[in-house]
Amino acid sequence: MLYLLSLLQLLYVVLLSPLIIGIFNKLTEKFESKEGPSIFQPYYDLYKLFNKQSVIPKVASPIFQLIPYMTFSMYLFLTLVLPIITAFPLSFGPIVDFIGGGLIFGAIGALKKIASLDSRSNYAHLGTSRTSSIGALAEPITVLIFITFGVISHTNNPYVVNNIMQTSSQWYFSLVHWLVVFAFFMVLLLETGKLPIESHSNNEFGMIDQAIELEYSGAELALMKWGGYIKQFLLMSVFLNDYSVPFWVPMKVGFTSVLIYSLIHFLKMIILTFIFATIQSTISKYKLFKNFEYVAVAFAFASLAILVYFTTGGSL
Amino acid sequence: MKDIFLIVGFLEIVLVIFMQWQIYLKKIVNTFSVSSYAISIFLFADGIVLNNTNLLILATLTAAVRGFFIPYFIKKRFKEHYLEREIKPTIPTAASIILSLIFVVAGYIIYHSTIYNSLNVLGGSIPIALLFQGIFLIISRDNAFVQLIGYMVAENSLFLFGGYLFPELPFIIEGGILLDLIGIVMISGIIIKLREENVSDIIDEFEEFKG
Repeated sequence: MLYLLSLLQLLYVVLLSPLIIGIFNKLTEKFESKEGPSIFQPYYDLYKLFNKQSVIPKVASPIFQLIPYMTFSMYLFLTLVLPIITAFPLSFGPIVDFIGGGLIFGAIGALKKIASLDSRSNYAHLGTSRTSSIGALAEPITVLIFITFGVISHTNNPYVVNNIMQTSSQWYFSLVHWLVVFAFFMVLLLETGKLPIESHSNNEFGMIDQAIELEYSGAELALMKWGGYIKQFLLMSVFLNDYSVPFWVPMKVGFTSVLIYSLIHFLKMIILTFIFATIQSTISKYKLFKNFEYVAVAFAFASLAILVYFTTGGSL
Repeated sequence: MKDIFLIVGFLEIVLVIFMQWQIYLKKIVNTFSVSSYAISIFLFADGIVLNNTNLLILATLTAAVRGFFIPYFIKKRFKEHYLEREIKPTIPTAASIILSLIFVVAGYIIYHSTIYNSLNVLGGSIPIALLFQGIFLIISRDNAFVQLIGYMVAENSLFLFGGYLFPELPFIIEGGILLDLIGIVMISGIIIKLREENVSDIIDEFEEFKG
């Protein structure tokens, strides 16, 4: 049963992650009073890219070609261990906790940077440099957020965190929790490359993560893009299931309840996508050096959460 | 009451961090106005719970003077000169946000190693942290209006301190209001007027208060 549900979760994330991007793109265009592409456009793009020939830089080593496959499989692994449509651990759930998941995200980031350095492209190097400098400041925030949840739940297991948030209204309405939610939301915008941090355009001024995969083409680019979609889907799911709206996630093993929750979860994702699209359409991009101020504020929220915990003794 | 105090207290700390983040004077002044309204709500609730008329009067005065009048006065001043953007942060913005946070932590440590033992109130570190943040806001910006706001933030912290820990202490209340009126409206008004009339050729009237 658990294996079957794991497979269901895997298919759910892998197949629906491009759709969320499609809905997001459609919404942002609608906000600008344009017709916008079909919500299935990311699927068409992936199909087109898988059928195209790959062009590899002459100077790149075999690692360059290997890394998209490695990172994609690591994203698939993450899909199996995080609470997406269940609040009970699936077959592979006990393998990693929050820190483990963070480490795998970190490993994927490191592999991508190695690949971009290996491409010897100046633009890819620029992307690596920007991602590293912002990531160096963003990682401590993520760690602080995990520590705060560790303090609340006495564990680092995302499933336990979900169960506590679902059942304990004291923790759900606490100031500690909401400061963490706010910090995580800011990190989410940063990690998923949304405005005010990154604008996806063809000029290099706004590129951060986008520049890393600049030398890829064909199937490798498709895998990098699809991996990016899955990453966004996973982070949004963790934000929804563990942080902001941890309700209705089935805590007992059951096929029907999981199926029903899949629909609810997708609805939650669409609402979050709508919020993202609204932010995307109302906020202008920061200058690159202003991003550090944004990260500093997110860090302040995460630190204040811990301070609130100590000041109130966890009673607020 | 403790919960309202903690929520308003941490809201104040967050709002000061937000002020450190902003470069537009108008946003800083509006944020200060919001923080003053939050303090007045806290004082109002405190006054009702403790049945203390002084606190109710103080809440009304806070909302009227610091929530409305002073922000209105400041905004009117820089509207005349089309100056909405602050020009010279002496400490880089990202660094000042982190430093402001460090001052909050320092406030917590200082409070817990000093007067906490006699007061035994957990949230007492918030006003001290806010006081440090206000003082830091003054030294981190080279702009007369931001410095005035930093001064008032420090004063807001006194209101929180007095309102929550010593609600029966009328001296702090009256002293606070008096300082407010003297410090902000009169002195700053006179200084700005003097600068306008006498030294406006050599010193920009929005420059920091010094000399």
